[in-house]
Amino acid sequence: MTGAVPILEVCDLSVKFGPLMAVNDVSFAVRRGVITSVIGPNGAGKSTLFNLVSGAVLPRGGKVLLDGKDVTGERPERLVRMGLSRSFQITNVFPELSVRENLRLAAQVLEPRSKAFLPTRASALTLERVEELLASFRLTERQDELAGYLSHGEQRRLEIAVAAACRPKLLLLDEPTQGMSHGDTQDTAALIREIGKTVTILLIEHDIDLVMELSQHVMVMHQGKKLAEGSPQEVRGDPAVEAAYFGKAHAAN
Amino acid sequence: MGALTDYVQFVLMPQMFNGLTIGVAVILMALGLTIIFGLLDVFNMAHGEFYALGAYLGVTLASRGVSFWLLLVLVPLLLLPAGFLVDRALIQRVFHQKERHMLTMLLTFGLAIVMEDLFKAAYGPNTLKPDSPLQGGTELLGNFFPTYRLFLVGIGTFTIVAVWFIVNRTRFGSMVRAAALDRHMAASLGVPVRRVYSTTFAFGVALAGLSGVLLSPIYSVFPTMGKDFILMAFTAVILGGFGSIRGVVLGGLVLTQIQALSSLYVSPVWGDPIVFGIMVLVLFFRPQGLFGGRLGHA
Amino acid sequence: MDTLDPVLPLQRTAPPREARASTVQGRLAQVFIVLALVFTAVAVPLGDTFFLRLGTEALIFSGLAMSVDLLLGFTGMLSLGQALYFGIGAYASALVLKHVTPSFWAAIGAALAVSTVAGSIAALLSIRARGVYFALITFGMAQVVSKVVYNTRGIIGGSDGIIGIPQIQVNLGLFRVDTASGPAFFLLVLALMLLAYFGLAYLLRTPAGRLLVAVRTNEARVPFLGYNTRQAKFLAFVLAANLAAFSGALYPMLRGFVSPELMYFHVSGDSVVTVIIGGLGTLIGPIYGSVIVTALKSVLGTYTEHYPIIIGSLFMLAVVAFPRGLVGGIESLVARRRGGAR
Repeated sequence: MTGAVPILEVCDLSVKFGPLMAVNDVSFAVRRGVITSVIGPNGAGKSTLFNLVSGAVLPRGGKVLLDGKDVTGERPERLVRMGLSRSFQITNVFPELSVRENLRLAAQVLEPRSKAFLPTRASALTLERVEELLASFRLTERQDELAGYLSHGEQRRLEIAVAAACRPKLLLLDEPTQGMSHGDTQDTAALIREIGKTVTILLIEHDIDLVMELSQHVMVMHQGKKLAEGSPQEVRGDPAVEAAYFGKAHAAN
Repeated sequence: MGALTDYVQFVLMPQMFNGLTIGVAVILMALGLTIIFGLLDVFNMAHGEFYALGAYLGVTLASRGVSFWLLLVLVPLLLLPAGFLVDRALIQRVFHQKERHMLTMLLTFGLAIVMEDLFKAAYGPNTLKPDSPLQGGTELLGNFFPTYRLFLVGIGTFTIVAVWFIVNRTRFGSMVRAAALDRHMAASLGVPVRRVYSTTFAFGVALAGLSGVLLSPIYSVFPTMGKDFILMAFTAVILGGFGSIRGVVLGGLVLTQIQALSSLYVSPVWGDPIVFGIMVLVLFFRPQGLFGGRLGHA
Repeated sequence: MDTLDPVLPLQRTAPPREARASTVQGRLAQVFIVLALVFTAVAVPLGDTFFLRLGTEALIFSGLAMSVDLLLGFTGMLSLGQALYFGIGAYASALVLKHVTPSFWAAIGAALAVSTVAGSIAALLSIRARGVYFALITFGMAQVVSKVVYNTRGIIGGSDGIIGIPQIQVNLGLFRVDTASGPAFFLLVLALMLLAYFGLAYLLRTPAGRLLVAVRTNEARVPFLGYNTRQAKFLAFVLAANLAAFSGALYPMLRGFVSPELMYFHVSGDSVVTVIIGGLGTLIGPIYGSVIVTALKSVLGTYTEHYPIIIGSLFMLAVVAFPRGLVGGIESLVARRRGGAR
């Protein structure tokens, strides 16, 4: 399923927060259909990278290319419509609305604009998608609960579901298993693998075992720069990576 | 050349002095507002009413024979428990909810409605004009300035400096700033956060009340006086940056000078629109104001 | 001991804002229609015009309150100057009726046209601001414009306002309504306000309306769902301005005059009070709220002119204890009767 043009290409991307180069001249590419992970010690700039790619933060320099098209500096809403969606490290759903409504809101972008003023009942596409999501993410039983009352694991699942709802080409998952129990983590891994069959996934993860299991390609960041890139095995054996993780007493999970 | 110096001396300077007088009073009022917002994250829509409360209290006490000088101390002192009570009884009740900003705004807005009508009920709708305790003028720099206004500028500046000192150089002030920066951390470090909040709120409204007493001989006392002034105070806070003492001083000065000088050239009717226009411009181009940031960075 | 910031309040006083809630609201709307009709049926044989006119006024202001609810209860934007558009609509309507043509539709059309322009300009100025800042800008705008109107003589009338607005015949095709007639105009305004209510209630069942609710609940996430929040807020703002102006346009038809007071802060303030007491985010709440507040003012007003103290206190009580107001309270009762947390 790998095409010639990478689905995402980042060239010399940089951003500065005050005196800190949070992301420093990072370049890498994500190939279509390949589950790619971004790993690195805390403060490496992984989430900032996601923010740059998803339009949450404006880069100071460099380019972002989505499917070959220059989307540097585009607003998040435009990127979503171009097929890029992301989840958040800290759950960022709509806590006062039901699970169902959360998913419906996330999926309603699938409908044409002309249906914006017709009742939601009339948007069959959206409603179908909601049922799909409820089933695949095992949230059917909780569909009428307010999102804020879900357990942590369920909320993380909802977070991913909301990001996946719009059928993106590229899905950015920021620490999807953050705070999850072992069992939940395994289930989520299976879920990610399943989604990965139709959507290209770019993943930030701390759980090294999960990274090894799921990803086919890994990029390591350290202090804002790209430290290494390659297959999970290559990266694991790289002494520079080891030094970054263990040398400075930044323990990996 | 003579005409120019004459203009500066006899037209500009008096007008700028007027602006300074009002500026000091606006700063006193806005100081309380900015501290309350900077620390408690509460936008006190009733702040203008505390300003009025101070003025009304002043009038009542004066009619009982309390001297003006005593008033300046007594009125703020009396407002402290009032403010403390308002914080405990009302604001703390909605403080821990998610929509705190909205709720406290609405709550204090309701308080303003009640207070304004209480003034009307207790004192009648008419304007009261307390006598100026310092009559006459003083010569300074070739101009005659009303002595009372000179006094106002003096005492106001002293108070502003005192507030700055308390916030930035005392232990209480450091507790206030700590709680503003990180409530939870401050609490875990032993800062009695709730008490600090209530005390700060009390001080904030006491400042507004002091401003009310000071300005009453100039502007008179009437039930809607709070609403009249509040736009100016809000704008000074926004211009200076919420939570910044330096900012509100500068913002208040700049704003009142603009208003004073512009009244030389355009009809005073344009006073409010100009002030409002400045507010919009600031919010549009530099929403954090001149020195925007939290109280901790004042 | 300080309890600091739970994520959500531990007890929910109202059921989720979904299908079940709107059944209660729908019922309350039906109840309201019935009560209003009963009211008319009683008032007419008694030869009353005072209470019918008072009721009409309550309904007119309920439109203003609904516009505040649209912004605050659904989109999360607190407008403290909504009376500005009410006044703009009133003035536009008055000017058309007095100087151009005594046509209901022309007056309404003019009001909507002016409010669309004014609302758009205001939205451009204020949308970027959030929360407190937004409220301040709307407050300031109303202050400024009302002062300018107050000071502008000429056709606008300055502090005197415009008087002598003629009573008109409203041509509804099948029949005509005379604004001079107490019961007829009351029923017309009732119909118009209910139209607005059902229109808004419908909007909130559409993706566009749900988007507004999303903006209120978690604005930060909305762009990542594919929507431009500024556009959404802009549309909500202009729609609310139009609704307020539409209501305002009816005012001179009822009272025969307009004055700058219609734009004053106490009118904006009252509309916020009405929404909170009636029920924030319920749409039918503002209608009930307006009736309650108008009735309270009228009743209390016969005993004392200091009714704001009572209404203000009631308002504060509502903010602290019943943020979803009367309608929210009813919804909770119904939910509890049905048993369980839902």
